[in-house]
Parts: sequence; structure tokens; C-alpha cells
Amino acid sequence: MNTIVPAAYPTDETLAARAAAGDDSAFEAIVHRHQARVFRLACRLTSDTDAPDVLQETFLQVYRHLPSFRGDSQFATWLYRIATNAALMHRRATARRPSEPLDVYLPQFDADGQHRATPAELQVASRADELLDRQILADRARAVLARLPDLYREAFVLRDLEEMSTANVAEALGIEPAAVRQRVHRARLMLRGYLSDLLGVKP
Amino acid sequence: MNPVVCASGVDLLMEFLEGMLPAEVNAALEEHVAGCARCAAFVASYQSTPRILRDATAAALPDEVEASLKAFLRTLTTAFRHD
Repeated sequence: MNTIVPAAYPTDETLAARAAAGDDSAFEAIVHRHQARVFRLACRLTSDTDAPDVLQETFLQVYRHLPSFRGDSQFATWLYRIATNAALMHRRATARRPSEPLDVYLPQFDADGQHRATPAELQVASRADELLDRQILADRARAVLARLPDLYREAFVLRDLEEMSTANVAEALGIEPAAVRQRVHRARLMLRGYLSDLLGVKP
Repeated sequence: MNPVVCASGVDLLMEFLEGMLPAEVNAALEEHVAGCARCAAFVASYQSTPRILRDATAAALPDEVEASLKAFLRTLTTAFRHD
């Protein structure tokens, strides 16, 4: 079946061009379309408390820089690069405890390179959402994201939580795709181990 | 190439899951995981981790934050016009 895109639903790029030309209703449409996702991203990169400021700063920057949006990248990739930078600037500007490498949650191996944990212990993190109280898991998940070093958090949040492609994350962060994969992998390992630890087993 | 052990397999896991490894390395890793209950369990939990974190951190935009953004942007668009 063919998918019909209604003419009344212009692309981001069309709206961006109209907004850059001074059409404020097009700008409002862009904001309306992306505000929930930018807010969610801001919560994940900073905190629920800081996210409203990051949201405002993001759309302020988008408004200011729309005339320079060239369409070399997708509008959404450009927007999330701005949002990510706004979140990182906000983190740097606010005093907070330093992030931690969380290496303690990395998988552990014996001298032969075999997992130290048993299969049952290694499996249990995949059931964290069934075994833990929903609110407790939400609180701990936000807290552990905040503890991740920025390099890992940015890549993990964009790639795995916002489900952007590796290529788009690389473009948004200005790094190579291989570096994105390396950082996402490291973050997954630490977070997997953290979920295991919450459930009282070895990573 | 050296035989795959759990530790070297974990190092290659993301590229393995994304189908980016050379065929020979990929086959060796597949064979290891198929015969290693620890790695099979590890892969399952590694793959579940993004989904669990995604669901646990999916914040909704509160009405008051949306209203505040709208008011802020209205002031902005009134004050500035693109030349």
C-alpha cells in the first residue's frame, strides 16, 4: 500500500525555510512538532529540573540560526545537535558532582577470559523492568545516566534512547561513527552491569 | 585468529550485533555464543539494556513547561524578526 503524505503536513525542511523567511507560524509548527522530544532528550542529558531551561535555550538557538540552516543535514539532526550542545553547556555552567567512570559495573572475567558470573546472574539484568518497582527503576535510571561521563552519556542517549542512527549521532556530535559505536558499547556495558547490581548480582 | 573467549567476544559485541565484523570473525563469535551459556545470557541482557533505560527515562513534556516555552517564544518572535 502506498503511503500518502498529506500536503498539509510539510516536511521539517519546508517549515525551516518558511520560518527562516520570517513565517512565525512555520516556526511555531517546528516547535510544536519537536518540543516533546527535545524535552525528553534534555531530561536524559541533564535533569528534569534543568530540562525546561535547555528546552528554551534550544529553540532560542534554533530561531537565531535558522537563516544559516543550509539543508546539508536533515533538519532533525541539526536540531538535535543544537539541543545536545545546549544541554552540555548547561551542565558545564551548573555546579554538579563530577561524573564517574562506573568501571565497577563492567563485566568481570577470570584469567582464562571467561565470565565470572553464572549464566543466571548474567541473564538477570534483562528482567530489571519486571523485577524492580517501576518508580524505583525510573529514579535509579535517571541517577545513573547523570553519573555517566559526558562522552558516554551523549552517545548512548542519542543512539540508544533517542534511537538515532549511528551516522546521525556521529554527525550531531561531530565524531566518527566508530567512536560513536565505541562509546555506546562502553555505556551499554556499564549500564547493564548497573542493572545487575541493582538486582544484587555480579555484573 | 585467536579463538574467541568471553572477554574478547564482549569487546566485539556491538559490531557483531550490527553485522559489521568480517565473516570469519563473525562466524567464530557466533560459534562461541552458541556454545557458551554465559555469553548467551550476557548478550540477552546487553540487548535489553537500551530498552529498559529508554522506558525508564521517557519523560513527558509537562503542560506548564509547554506553556512557559510558548510564552517565551512569543516574546522572542515579537522582539526579533529575521532580516
